[in-house]
Amino acid sequence: MTPTAPTLLEMRSITKTFPGVTALADVSLVVREGEIHAICGENGAGKSTLMKVLSGVHPHGSYTGDIVYRGEQVRFHDIRASEQAGIAIIHQELALVPGMSITENLFLGNEPRRRGAIDWKTAQRRALELMARVGLREDPDTLIKDIGVGKQQLVEIAKAFAKDVKLLILDEPTAALNEHDSQHLLDLLRGFRERGITSIIISHKLNEIEAVADTITILRDGRTIESLDVRADGVNEDRIVRGMVGRELDSRFPDRTPDIGEIFFEVRDWTVRHPSSDERMVCKGSTFHVRRGEIVGFAGLMGAGRTELAMSLFGRSYGTWLSGRVFKDGEEVRLKTVSDAIRHGLAYVSEDRKSIGLNLLDDIKTSMVAAKLSKIARRRVIDPVREHRIAEEYRQSLRIKTPSVDEGVVKLSGGNQQKVVLAKWMFTDPDLLILDEPTRGIDVGAKFEIYGIIQRLVAQGKGVVVISSELPELIGLCDRIYTVFEGTITGDVARGDADPELLMKQMTATKKSPTP
Amino acid sequence: MRTLVIRSIAAVGAAALLTLGTACSNEREGSTGSDSAEGKGFAKDSLIGVALPAKTSENWVLAGDLFTDGLKDSGFKADVQYAGASTTVADQQAQISSMVTKGAKVIVIGATDASQLATQVKQAKDEGATVIAYDRLITNTPDVDYYIAFDNFKVGQLQGQALIDGMKAKKPKGPWTIELFSGSPDDNNSKVFFDGAMEVLKPLIDKGDIVVGSGQTDIKQTATQGWKAENAQQRMDSLLTSAYGGKKTLDGVLSPNDTLARAILTSVKGAGKPVPVVTGQDSEVESVKSIMAGEQYSTINKDTRKLVAETVNMVKALQKGDKPTINDTKSYDNGKKVVPSFLLPPVIVTKENAAEAYANDPKLAALTK
Amino acid sequence: MSRITDLQKNLFGGTTSNARQFGMISTLVAIVLLFQIWTDGLTLTSGNLIAVVSQYSYILILAIGMLMVIVAGHIDLSVGSVAAFTGIVVAKAMQEYDLPWPLGIALGLLVGAAIGAWQGFWVAYIGVPAFIVTLAGMLLFRGGNQYIGNADTVPVPEGFRKIGAGFLPEVGPDTGYNNLTLLLGVAACAGVLWREWQARQTRREMKADLAPLWVTGIRLAVMFGVIVFATLRFAGGRIGTSLPISGIILIVLVLAYSHYTRNTIGGRHIYAVGGNARAAELSGVKLKRVNFLVMMNMSVLAALAGMIFVARSSASGPQDGLSWELDAIAAVFIGGAAVSGGLGTVSGSIVGGLVMALLNNGLQLEGVGSDMVQIIKGLVLLLAVAFDVYNKSQGRFSVIGALTRPFRRDDPAAPAPPAAPNSDVDKAGVAG
Repeated sequence: MTPTAPTLLEMRSITKTFPGVTALADVSLVVREGEIHAICGENGAGKSTLMKVLSGVHPHGSYTGDIVYRGEQVRFHDIRASEQAGIAIIHQELALVPGMSITENLFLGNEPRRRGAIDWKTAQRRALELMARVGLREDPDTLIKDIGVGKQQLVEIAKAFAKDVKLLILDEPTAALNEHDSQHLLDLLRGFRERGITSIIISHKLNEIEAVADTITILRDGRTIESLDVRADGVNEDRIVRGMVGRELDSRFPDRTPDIGEIFFEVRDWTVRHPSSDERMVCKGSTFHVRRGEIVGFAGLMGAGRTELAMSLFGRSYGTWLSGRVFKDGEEVRLKTVSDAIRHGLAYVSEDRKSIGLNLLDDIKTSMVAAKLSKIARRRVIDPVREHRIAEEYRQSLRIKTPSVDEGVVKLSGGNQQKVVLAKWMFTDPDLLILDEPTRGIDVGAKFEIYGIIQRLVAQGKGVVVISSELPELIGLCDRIYTVFEGTITGDVARGDADPELLMKQMTATKKSPTP
Repeated sequence: MRTLVIRSIAAVGAAALLTLGTACSNEREGSTGSDSAEGKGFAKDSLIGVALPAKTSENWVLAGDLFTDGLKDSGFKADVQYAGASTTVADQQAQISSMVTKGAKVIVIGATDASQLATQVKQAKDEGATVIAYDRLITNTPDVDYYIAFDNFKVGQLQGQALIDGMKAKKPKGPWTIELFSGSPDDNNSKVFFDGAMEVLKPLIDKGDIVVGSGQTDIKQTATQGWKAENAQQRMDSLLTSAYGGKKTLDGVLSPNDTLARAILTSVKGAGKPVPVVTGQDSEVESVKSIMAGEQYSTINKDTRKLVAETVNMVKALQKGDKPTINDTKSYDNGKKVVPSFLLPPVIVTKENAAEAYANDPKLAALTK
Repeated sequence: MSRITDLQKNLFGGTTSNARQFGMISTLVAIVLLFQIWTDGLTLTSGNLIAVVSQYSYILILAIGMLMVIVAGHIDLSVGSVAAFTGIVVAKAMQEYDLPWPLGIALGLLVGAAIGAWQGFWVAYIGVPAFIVTLAGMLLFRGGNQYIGNADTVPVPEGFRKIGAGFLPEVGPDTGYNNLTLLLGVAACAGVLWREWQARQTRREMKADLAPLWVTGIRLAVMFGVIVFATLRFAGGRIGTSLPISGIILIVLVLAYSHYTRNTIGGRHIYAVGGNARAAELSGVKLKRVNFLVMMNMSVLAALAGMIFVARSSASGPQDGLSWELDAIAAVFIGGAAVSGGLGTVSGSIVGGLVMALLNNGLQLEGVGSDMVQIIKGLVLLLAVAFDVYNKSQGRFSVIGALTRPFRRDDPAAPAPPAAPNSDVDKAGVAG
């Protein structure tokens, strides 16, 4: 590639809003022919949204701005349209059918036909060609479920080649791969570059980006921050991190004077295995503690194992517990079921409100009392008056915007739903609240209120654990922050020492800052 | 929107008022069962209920049509109902209840399960209706008034004899190998047919002239649940596999009716065996064709026309307040009482006498030419 | 809108009622009126009402259990076979071992519980889908019925028949009515009055708006009217007949299960499991236990229904229970339950079952053949559910959707939002 290679793709002033949120604001991206272009940014910076705009998942008309591809302005109305133009996107979650063979998957929906029937001979031959191009040596009749994730990724890429790809987009391609497979994939990308195929890669693994990318575009808060030429600008990981997090922390947090007591909750050597994979550990010997009145943050990239840690603590709701002990107020407690955990004063507000946090068929008051019905029941019969009164109290104290607690929770906005979930867990009167991404999907105003609620809780002497992917949030809110990388706790940073660059380094486990 | 709601509320209110208005009429009265229609008669245009089993054989369909026409021609109002195909017993129970509610004076019942109607028959009786068990005797209740049917024991005897005659004609010397089939165990008649046939066959089996290839001679082994062709066919298939491997042949099959006979023939032909002598009953069109083609050996002509006509005569007698004709007051004990019965003689039909036997039946007569 | 919903709420029992049910009750009233006119008043005669109750009580009992199964997100196809199996076991035990009939009933319930435990075990603890477990159960227990009964019919003793074919006895002075039924009617009126007063108390304590007294008055008048009418009808049947025993069993079960599903922790847990099993689990609901109990309860009720049918038929036969599961499931769905679970009420299912029963009865009184009856019932089921689905998908308000909004549980106005990538997602949700 030469710096003066012609432009393949230009996205100009892309703006995309969702109700209540601006996901992309005036974003621009220039990709030259035959390069590997990396897009970096924190969780929530808008990377995936940008790619969805490009590939037609968000169709033309749902955003503003222009896309110029191969010299022409394009308007993709769906994925099919972008595929026909030679743009292929490979998502984190692979779109393969596990029970079908490699060949079948390669030509799914695109089967070579002869006289109305599938021409398996041709399919087989072409499958071998495609597999050779991505360096996959397998029997094409092998079922997808019988090959590893790394090879599945290759099948996915080969599938893109089956459709004559010009621009290959990979979203976190190495997130689920081991070192060896990742290396193979990166080599493959270099090979494509030799053959003039352009790639866009989204990745959190900055060392990989530094190693493979020609150009890096950094997004932050839905805006383009800068575009770096790796060779010319002498980019290293530190430089990228600075770009990613380099914003001022504004006063988005209510004032608070911490009043921190003694350690009351302690986890030692917590090790949990992935539910379906024997070898993968989602938590590796995690040890941490929480003090009364303390807000403890857990920082880590997606898939680092923070949610898994929290859920496995909460009544072994995730994975297979292997070892580790939990102490509360100096005594060991056993938390084998969710009821145990609730009884011992734990509460877990899940990351995904809609799919596991709430019963969307319920009304507000039913949701609020769902985790501790015994508190409003006499001889197992629910007292509707108490239920209603309690719900009213929370509605007022948490300022939930609804005409009545008889309304269905579906009708609430994300922020108000989150408050209902918080109320549900506050009602169990916990000593330790674990909040998993408590402000995801919530507008700024509601975020501020939720921070306030969290601060009130710790002021009552409770402990709060906040898991968040937004570093500024953790830095602004927490008294102490643990960093997690691939199931291991890699750091314990006190409030005064916490700065984004330090955290980001510990989260990506780049302890020895590479000096190029 | 609003008007709709208001209208709905008005409807509920109106319903309440209307029902309150009619609530004064009290139906309270004593049981009239004992002094039923008999002896007094009833109005000439009264409702007569006919409850028949599900439409599983052409015979029931024909009977239903004949009842509708016959009763209407005699000036009655007819309510002819078939039980549903899947919920047979419960359906029939509900239908009989409805007929009682509608004030039927006589209820003719071709029972789906003859021992599960006691409650409904009592209800009918209590409301003063006369109950006639048609073709199948209703058991375990004192509330059945009459039973009308072909002489089913005779049917069995004729079937047994026909089986022997047929086999002798094909192969003059025994021993002959046969298999036995009987009807649905919930149909009281199944046992009667079977016993009749066995009365003829048993002596020969004991002597060794006739061999039951599978050894299955108990009615529980030979039963065909629900009179269903598929069940008979399945049983025949497995018998052929288990007892007639290799060159063993089957000389005859006792089949209680035509539907099962054809199923049995299908099974035998499917297995590539020579066609045995198979008996039947009911003179179904397909079986008459089969007999004329030399496959099924015999059937029984229980002329549904005659049976329905006699039943209608019975109803007419009851209407006038007369005692209906009966010819048997001893044989049919239903567990609670001996039911006065009127029995019609059945006729055996083979290829030889078919033309003569069906002379009165335009549809079947055409087939015998 | 609000005035109408208020009025409707006030007239039909506040938050515990719901508009889907309101719609179904209107349909029921319409069907009754239609047939009442069509059959020249036969539908609402004492004799017919008594017959309808005893004919359909066992289906309605099944519908109660089925409602809970469906709310929990399962299905039970085996109820007919379980009923038939229990029936033959009990009949045989009484016939061959001279078991006294009260013990026979106890035995039947035990058999039901054992079968339920068996099915519940597979569903809850092994995780086999209930559809499969009960499909297997359907074959298993149908075969069991025929194996034990030799596909024969087994009569049951006179005492046992009371639970299916018995009536409240005649006692006390000759009032021209069945006195016990009259007493029951009075008790029902008192119960309604008490509940109304309770409801007003509760609303006052909640500081919620109280319905004007005249609204309460109208509602009470309507309910009293219905109760008085029903009482006189059932008490005024031919001497020896009155409210059937099976009807009394049904009423007791309906009251008990309505209370359980609506007001108790156990009931809440069933809805929670059906609405979102994972969320329920993370709220401390013992998922497996709930699933187990729901399946087990269904089989116990199926056993009871089977015994009532056998008692009414005076014998246990090989065709008992055929396609009962379909009637029970249809009743539940007509009554407003959601296929995906989490929604539905006992009273709704009973109304749904009554719609089917009266439709059946009315058509039979009219002499419509069972073939046509099945066709009509099929269409009613389809249309009842389709009407609701259509209204939901339109997203505009309809009789049902709009009226239902303020009530909990049966909230068809609130379908689970599709996981559309852009519906309510922020930057974090869509970014890598």
